[in-house]
Amino acid sequence: MVEWLLEPLGYAFMQRGLLAAVVVGVVCALVGVFMMLRGMAFMGEALGHAVLPGLAIGYLASGGNRTITFFWALGTAILTSVVMGALSRTTKLRQDTAIGIVFAGMFALGIALISSIRSYAVDLTHMLFGNILGVTNGDMWMVLAASAAVILALVLFYKELTVIAFDPVLAVTLRLPVRGLDILLHVMIAVAIVVSLQTVGVALVVAMLLTPAATAFMLTKQLKRMMVIAALVAAFSGVAGLYASYYLNIASGAAIVLACTTVFVLVYIFRGRERSKVALQQKSPAG
Amino acid sequence: MQTPQGIHCSEHQAPFAVELREVNVHYGSTLALADFSLTIEHGVRVAVVGPNGAGKSTFFNLVSGLLNPTHGTVKVHGHNPGQYLCLAYVTQASQLDLNFPVNVWDVAMMGRMGKLGLLHRPGAADRALVHSSLERVGMLEFATRQIGELSGGQRQRLLIARALVQEAELLLLDEPFAGLDVPAQEQILKILDDVQAQGVTVLLATHDLELAAEHFDRVLLINRRCIAYGVAQEVLTPANLSAAYGGHMQVINTAEGRVLVGDSGGHHEHGTEGSHG
Repeated sequence: MVEWLLEPLGYAFMQRGLLAAVVVGVVCALVGVFMMLRGMAFMGEALGHAVLPGLAIGYLASGGNRTITFFWALGTAILTSVVMGALSRTTKLRQDTAIGIVFAGMFALGIALISSIRSYAVDLTHMLFGNILGVTNGDMWMVLAASAAVILALVLFYKELTVIAFDPVLAVTLRLPVRGLDILLHVMIAVAIVVSLQTVGVALVVAMLLTPAATAFMLTKQLKRMMVIAALVAAFSGVAGLYASYYLNIASGAAIVLACTTVFVLVYIFRGRERSKVALQQKSPAG
Repeated sequence: MQTPQGIHCSEHQAPFAVELREVNVHYGSTLALADFSLTIEHGVRVAVVGPNGAGKSTFFNLVSGLLNPTHGTVKVHGHNPGQYLCLAYVTQASQLDLNFPVNVWDVAMMGRMGKLGLLHRPGAADRALVHSSLERVGMLEFATRQIGELSGGQRQRLLIARALVQEAELLLLDEPFAGLDVPAQEQILKILDDVQAQGVTVLLATHDLELAAEHFDRVLLINRRCIAYGVAQEVLTPANLSAAYGGHMQVINTAEGRVLVGDSGGHHEHGTEGSHG
């Protein structure tokens, strides 16, 4: 058993992959808790897909330099969230409609760009579905720095982000800088998405954001505990997924997401149904 | 006192707690409030009444600074409401996410966040204030309970405790009695007595005209405009009520007193002056 666990660690690419999977998983889970509580699941899904043109342009402009590509993707994600917000504010469109329009358009632009440069398609496929075993030392430092920044921002603004998520009207009457904190949350989501592109890729990133948070939500009624549990679920799933990928020879991003989903399903079977039954009983009497 | 977060308690320097001058509010092309002028004295308890869609929530959104008027000015303790901090707004309880992972203590502590400032953590004084506020509304024993596990009345008491933690000088309550039974309503009225004794101005929206007449110093009757403001006997007159409720309510004078007969909604019309038809 010990040998079975140690064998993959003999490879430097596996060491880096495991570290990346754990760090990225934890960051996504923590940001994902606020995303879930704010009901922003669709926004996360959309932002994940909308970075594709940024990746393609960054890749083309830099000739494959990953740092430059990272900032193109990040800039695209932030720009997209600003455009989505502006579109639903300046028209009568519901926010989910605005998100849908922008996200599909951006994703199509990304595919169009990729299709024009077939020779790069393999690397860009890695960005769609992740290529955690291709994480370099340079990538690792960038992931660590970006993750540290997100976690620091979460610690500093934890109480304000909590108030806005729970009661936006209270946040306004407390005269909190709601607009600025909303932008901060969007930027944190964008960073979390971009750092997870190498581990799970554009197509599956929403699972990294939501599944650990939803799993933790079924297990506790305290926000801080929920964040710790979500982080643990994500870290465990990152490691378990990567081992599964190593031994079963399946795609690493998909394996990590499936590990998350498995934990979610197990928790649902043993805890989730019980809790939701209680919630239903409380809601049923009128008033 | 001016801080980066806003203006703190003003020691009642301004002549009025709330002042609206010729306020108009448009939502797109619809006029939600028209030519609305009103002054509310410090320390009174005001029932805000009017039919559904009369603009009660719009009025509260204006006073709390959530909404800016299209025309006119709104002042709270002489300040722009958007800068004023000693104001608490308890929205309709149905707007809260009851599955949110917070307990009673956490929710009360949220009232402190405005004065704490960014990057500061609650200290002993903040915890003492949360403790005493929960105690005053009788919710201390439920401090560790998740908000979804509370009854409607307990939830309202918690939200009032949160307003106490905010050190509110002006308390806005939007339909706090909706869905509550009589004992729970009485409990809240008793807490409001306590709050008012401390000098807090209370504005409370309700559908219950009888309650408004019995338990409030002033009644504000609105329907898109300010129809009348003053003591209940002067405000709840047949002329004013038919102006506010129009075809939805009939006012009949009988030997025993005045009787109101509602013909819409059905669940919230009551007689005034203790008599029922």
